[in-house]
Amino acid sequence: MAVQLEKLSDPGWAWTAYEPDAERPWTLAQAGHLYRRAAFGANWGQLQHALSDGPQRTVDTLLRPQADVEAFNAAHDEYETSATSVNDLRAWWLRRMIQTPHPLLEKMTLFWHNHFATSGTGVKDARVMRQHIRLLRSQALGSFESLLQGISRDPAVLVWLGADANRKALPNDSFVRPLVETFTVGPGCFTDRDIQEASRAFTGWFVLRGELRYIPREHDSGAKHILGREGNFTSDDVVQILLEQPATPQRLVRKLYHWLIGEVEEPDAILIAPLAESFAKDYNVSRLVETMLRSNLFFSSAAYRRRIKCPVEFAIGIVKGLEEMVSTTQLAQDLAGLGQNLYHPPTVEGWAGARHWVNIATMTGRYNLASALLQGSGPYDDKLNPRVVSEKYGRSTPESAAQLLLGLFLQGDLDPAVCETLLKTAKVEADDSNECLRRFAHAVVTLPEFNLA
Amino acid sequence: MSCTRRDFLKTALGTSTLLSFSSVAPNFLIRTATAGDPHRDDGRTVLVVLQLSGGNDGLNTVVPYHDDEYARNRPTLALPPKELHKINSLIGFHPRMGAFMRLYDEGHLSIVQGVGSPNPDRDHDGAMRIWHTADPDRPSRQTGWLGRAVDNVWRADTTEAPAVFVGPIAQPFALNTESVIVPSIQSPDDLMAREMPGRTDGQSVWKNAAELPRPGQQNSLLGFLQRCTLKAHANTRRIEAVTTGAAAGTAEYPSFRLAGTLRTVAQLIRADTGIRIFFTELGGGGIGGFDNHANQLGNHCALLHQLSESVAAFVYDLKRDKLLDRVLLMTFSEFGRTVKENGRRGTGHGAAAPIFLAGGRLKGGLVGAHPSLTDLDGDAPKFHTDFRRVYATVLDRWLGFESRSVLGKQFEALDILNS
Repeated sequence: MAVQLEKLSDPGWAWTAYEPDAERPWTLAQAGHLYRRAAFGANWGQLQHALSDGPQRTVDTLLRPQADVEAFNAAHDEYETSATSVNDLRAWWLRRMIQTPHPLLEKMTLFWHNHFATSGTGVKDARVMRQHIRLLRSQALGSFESLLQGISRDPAVLVWLGADANRKALPNDSFVRPLVETFTVGPGCFTDRDIQEASRAFTGWFVLRGELRYIPREHDSGAKHILGREGNFTSDDVVQILLEQPATPQRLVRKLYHWLIGEVEEPDAILIAPLAESFAKDYNVSRLVETMLRSNLFFSSAAYRRRIKCPVEFAIGIVKGLEEMVSTTQLAQDLAGLGQNLYHPPTVEGWAGARHWVNIATMTGRYNLASALLQGSGPYDDKLNPRVVSEKYGRSTPESAAQLLLGLFLQGDLDPAVCETLLKTAKVEADDSNECLRRFAHAVVTLPEFNLA
Repeated sequence: MSCTRRDFLKTALGTSTLLSFSSVAPNFLIRTATAGDPHRDDGRTVLVVLQLSGGNDGLNTVVPYHDDEYARNRPTLALPPKELHKINSLIGFHPRMGAFMRLYDEGHLSIVQGVGSPNPDRDHDGAMRIWHTADPDRPSRQTGWLGRAVDNVWRADTTEAPAVFVGPIAQPFALNTESVIVPSIQSPDDLMAREMPGRTDGQSVWKNAAELPRPGQQNSLLGFLQRCTLKAHANTRRIEAVTTGAAAGTAEYPSFRLAGTLRTVAQLIRADTGIRIFFTELGGGGIGGFDNHANQLGNHCALLHQLSESVAAFVYDLKRDKLLDRVLLMTFSEFGRTVKENGRRGTGHGAAAPIFLAGGRLKGGLVGAHPSLTDLDGDAPKFHTDFRRVYATVLDRWLGFESRSVLGKQFEALDILNS
């Protein structure tokens, strides 16, 4: 992973597909990194496959899995209709994240949930919120243009933002402001006048009992001046104008950079420019994600462990590694306690994430959640069992089982002194019990390193 | 007592072990160890906000017994003057608030009278939203006043949780932040790392593995997570020290739920967890127990008794431990109630009401006049003190935060605190 610094900021090098060589070999650590970012972690079998497939073929698998994703998602869409509350939906989504043959799709749905942050606290109606997340999923790796159009007509978003009534006599800016400021061009690229004029273009749109309605006589069809353009614009026109602003693709690419590559540093404009230019052409999300995931930069030290796992990544990383299903109703509740209440982002800005995820209370909470998941009793029952997994991969001695867990959760990439401390204090060699291996797994997933994505 | 406490903490922390690493440990770890010193929080103030859910009837709490209008408007609800705890010749505390009377006499309680909001709302949710957002002009805004306050003081190296909600209901909106995570807890246990079954050394593995240096790692996030882990570990040990053994059993609290909540708050203050804001609640979720439209007398009586006894136990607990000077408790309710009782021995939603402040550095006494019973806002007492002046006072003068950025403009602080 050692790369000269100047290369990291050279867009030509940074966005070229990574080809392993003697200096930058393809390792288990790199495979783990890819699965943490493009999925929610991996099991041992997936890591071994990735190791033999190499980076580009593994990215292929993550982008276009062999399995019948459509059938899987159709079945889950059906299950979700049984949810009677927004809280039930959280559990169904976590289940989908854990079981899906296409984890990248869920990872990107979560990205859009954070971007178009819409909370069930304002909406309350499970059906409307279910449709909202379905909309995000339908374009999660599709077209940002279609997604933005969908969002501008989505009852959940309009109700949450207090934009369920847009009268001609009383233009409502509560959707338009976040549309401009948060969803597209971003702060500093518009004036209050732009917001007022754009709000007029959105008059006529209402949400009545969870259904979108257009009432033509409430639409202000007069001329509007928006971001230097003039015309009798409608809401669709406003969306188009926003998509044509160069600030929009730049902002989206930056946000995705933080999500997929690293959140420690703000990337140089020169690094963002080529991707933003390409994205602006057709707003194809899949191509943008693909470029990032295949890149030299993605597999460099600028990206490796340069994100703090969100609570969902932390918990599902443990569950995926141990290859069993746990109660996601309980998990949704526990994740809310760690600051990530799915379907309920705190504000329209989404979760701030990064260092905000962690303080002494949530660090303690992660410790306790890991205990609950691994202890073999209590709310998560005896689903996750490190012994079963290590035996599945032929590691029957305590020492080899411990090594497998280090490989599974950290790809063995841990300072030798820390490793030694773990093995010694967890007394793996001295004690052959199941409990001992559970405790060792717990010690591994409560390390600072495991909290890094 | 405070000497014993320090000894407890010293043993619990094992600070000396960590410091003996100093020849090899990187600087940040030494800083962490020093920061874990039990004296570090000395002088840091703590705010406890106590929400009275449902709309407390201020007139039957601080009773204007001298005013004939009071008895005339409340044929069944008026409290007999001889049973009141008289504050002066005009007003007195509800008969079951003897503990508040005592706190008041000792200078540990202040009453800010006639507090309310411009653009008031007489609907529970709407009114509560105003008190939570502190933005009567824009109650739809997405953050609460305390949420904004903790967002503002957050720094990239902050490892402490600046605020917590203690209680069994959903977290009140006042704490809604844009970025900082505010935990909801019900007992000190919820902030402690719990051992896995059969394990006795888990926490030390946690600590030992986190404090080892990571040579060659140029990763600021890793260092941050190491510090957080060590602080979380030290925090658990400190809470353990004040909730187990001799330190836990000394304080006397009545058996009310609120008393239990405040005991938890006192324990966490004693443990120096770095939490600056505790939010607690009496009255429960939903509409709230103070909403007495019918047969108010008995229910209100029980709630006020619970309030007064629980807060007094909290104050005396902290006072014994010489911690009261660091603590300020503030009550609020979404509105007061109508002057006139309705035909069902209850009262309707009103406007202004008193706020109570309790603590060790109060000037004590009354702040502002009791609102008039004839010059009314509809049918309820009018406010003369904007609730945001109270908020500005606790933010600027007590917590040392900047109220202007939280409240959108500068509100004049009340002169209620001793410096």
